Amino acid sequence: MDERTLDEIIGRYPYPSGRTLGILREVQIKEKHIPMDTLKLVSEKLDTPLSDLFSLVTFYSFFSLKPVGEHLITVCMGTPCHVKGAEKILQSIQEHLGLSGDSSDGKYLETTPDNKFTVEIARCFGACSMAPVLHVDGDLYGYVTPEKIPEILTRYGWKR
Amino acid sequence: MPVNGRKRMVTITINKNQYLAEEGEIFLLTAMRLKIDIPHLCYEKALDPYGSCRLCMVEVVTCGKTEMTPACTIKVHNGLEILTDTPEVIKHRNILFELYLAEAPKSEVIKEMAAKYGVTKTRFLKKIVHDDPLLGKCILCGLCVRVCSEIMGTCAINFINRGPFTVVNTPFYEHNPDCAGCAACARVCPTNAIVFEDTEKDRVMRSWSGTTVPMMTCSSCNKPFAPEKLMHEIQSRLDPQINEDIRNMCPECRRRYISRREMKIPIT
Repeated sequence: MDERTLDEIIGRYPYPSGRTLGILREVQIKEKHIPMDTLKLVSEKLDTPLSDLFSLVTFYSFFSLKPVGEHLITVCMGTPCHVKGAEKILQSIQEHLGLSGDSSDGKYLETTPDNKFTVEIARCFGACSMAPVLHVDGDLYGYVTPEKIPEILTRYGWKR
Repeated sequence: MPVNGRKRMVTITINKNQYLAEEGEIFLLTAMRLKIDIPHLCYEKALDPYGSCRLCMVEVVTCGKTEMTPACTIKVHNGLEILTDTPEVIKHRNILFELYLAEAPKSEVIKEMAAKYGVTKTRFLKKIVHDDPLLGKCILCGLCVRVCSEIMGTCAINFINRGPFTVVNTPFYEHNPDCAGCAACARVCPTNAIVFEDTEKDRVMRSWSGTTVPMMTCSSCNKPFAPEKLMHEIQSRLDPQINEDIRNMCPECRRRYISRREMKIPIT
């Protein structure tokens, strides 16, 4: 993110209380992730230690340090979805997209090498009646089974 | 109320015995002075009590009811009644030791302390500590983070991630130019998890992603003696006259220089 855009964002937060999260949120939405250089720039401009900002960014699951791919697949891992087999859905997606499923920071967020799909997990969408659910770029899919995964992925340009 | 600058002495009851104690003192310190054994890890006198290790839990009796409270956050007042060895306290402590044995499986300090209270095994899954820069000894008490920001004002390290993935390190796990190399973090660490190394020219903070701070060499004997950034920070706060006396010398050379000057021996 260039300095002018960042200055514009910071300018919208005249009061010190609570502005850090607001600014970082806008950066995340605009860039789809928090670039390292931008975080360093924010730290300089707000006169906040970089370690504090990094701590915040790694704490909240909303922020991501890695770029997000073209399509974002969010798999619900709330209790009802878990009971209805969300674990198997996630595994199936991982197998189809060739992702490892390893996470060293506790946030599950993985992107395919061709930068086409990013898979993340969420705690609850509030659509428990349709469990298990997932959404791709905001389109909600309910009553998902591992067999339905290839069909859903094909709609977003996935090839076997 | 302090009378004539002295603290008021009050009567407190610990395990049904009465003692005299200074009003306003931290209860953990009172107990330590009275040789009443309370295990603790995260108390550091340079910082405010934080109560993060939860090991110093005792029961406070108020109106016949008891309440579990960390001893380091209790201030002594008249009529304070404390129980330090009730079955509940012991049970709490033993479970905590088991959790610590799983969290920091390589820490000798934890092992020794737990063994002293009869806990040698843990029911919990031990943390896998392969390649851990903190050697599998960190208990996440936060002393290093607090000493770095509250005392030194450098904020070089902080907590990263959350829940079971929480670690302490530098931002982006890389060399942090903010670090002054004071090693206060290593000094306050209750489990000696933080490692650093002084090489010929630099101080390398091994635990903090290899953060390297150049050392200042003594202007007299040319030996490295303190991190450069730390010395500059100290010198910026000192009186110019004192700085003049220090002349970037190591403590040994400085002592020799000043004593010779005071005794009017020619300086060679």
